[in-house]
Amino acid sequence: MKDPAAGAESALERRYRFWLRCYPSAFRSEHEAEMLGVLMAGAREQQRWPDLTECLDLAFGALRVQLRPRVARSDRPRQAAVRMMLVGALFELATLVTVAVTADTIRTSLLRRDPGYTAAQWHQEVTVGLHPLMVGAGFSVCFWLVMAWVIGRGGRWRGPRIAFACFFIMTTVSLLNGLDHGSALYARFDLVAGSALWLVEFATLLVVFREDPRSEAARELGMPT
Amino acid sequence: MQEATFLILTALASGSQHGYGIIADVAKISDGRVRLRAGTLYAALDRLRLDGLVSVDREEIVDNRLRRYYRLTAEGSGQLAAEAARFRSNAAAAFARLGPGGGGAG
Repeated sequence: MKDPAAGAESALERRYRFWLRCYPSAFRSEHEAEMLGVLMAGAREQQRWPDLTECLDLAFGALRVQLRPRVARSDRPRQAAVRMMLVGALFELATLVTVAVTADTIRTSLLRRDPGYTAAQWHQEVTVGLHPLMVGAGFSVCFWLVMAWVIGRGGRWRGPRIAFACFFIMTTVSLLNGLDHGSALYARFDLVAGSALWLVEFATLLVVFREDPRSEAARELGMPT
Repeated sequence: MQEATFLILTALASGSQHGYGIIADVAKISDGRVRLRAGTLYAALDRLRLDGLVSVDREEIVDNRLRRYYRLTAEGSGQLAAEAARFRSNAAAAFARLGPGGGGAG
């Protein structure tokens, strides 16, 4: 005859397993069996469902493991790169806010330079210039965050380096293009924000391309990096 | 260092322990104030292993379940000692300013 207690236990275990699926597969293969052991050891007799607090703890624990960088404290180059990416995301967001907030200032500057500036011209400036700039800044915030996540996952530097170098070239060309079109005259706040952002990008580029001392040592020993 | 991390390292300071043992020990050390749950514990243990502060001591199977024992590394002991010294110094400063009465205000 089937033991009802054993049935209850397996149902609870199945439900715990469901929550443990939120964790990354590498983490699960390392810890799932022992986590289940701990969860089952702490379960009440005849308990069939996980408590709400347990579910929340597992969900937040999984989120933390999914998002946090898997970089050891000793791996300083990678830690510095992740931090710079997060700083870059903040600067990019600040630039986006600056562009949105100073739109009226730009219009006033344009009117001062050209009293015959029409509403249709402004509409075109917004459609062709400002909106793409803001959408681009929004995508860039996501790019910085994704880069922080990818670098924080570990792995090879090659992919993130190529991606960031392309991003740096694109934003440099965009900044130079803005200067060429006279943004220094009518969009000073945006220019200051863009220049500050460019400096952060340049500093990040140096950090990302800095030689990892451990890779250097591995190469000297003839090991793959 | 977060309190949960400090308490996990403290639990391991007297010898290796498995996950459920750490949870029970942390509750005991904190007089029941801190009740670690599996999600919090294993996220912290994973981080501590990555940083080289704890390592796996041994594994065993009990009632068909994996039981993994963790222990402090030398670096983990050093970090815990440094953090405990910092707490002691801060606590000493607080008690010195509170005067002989201890906790009473005024």
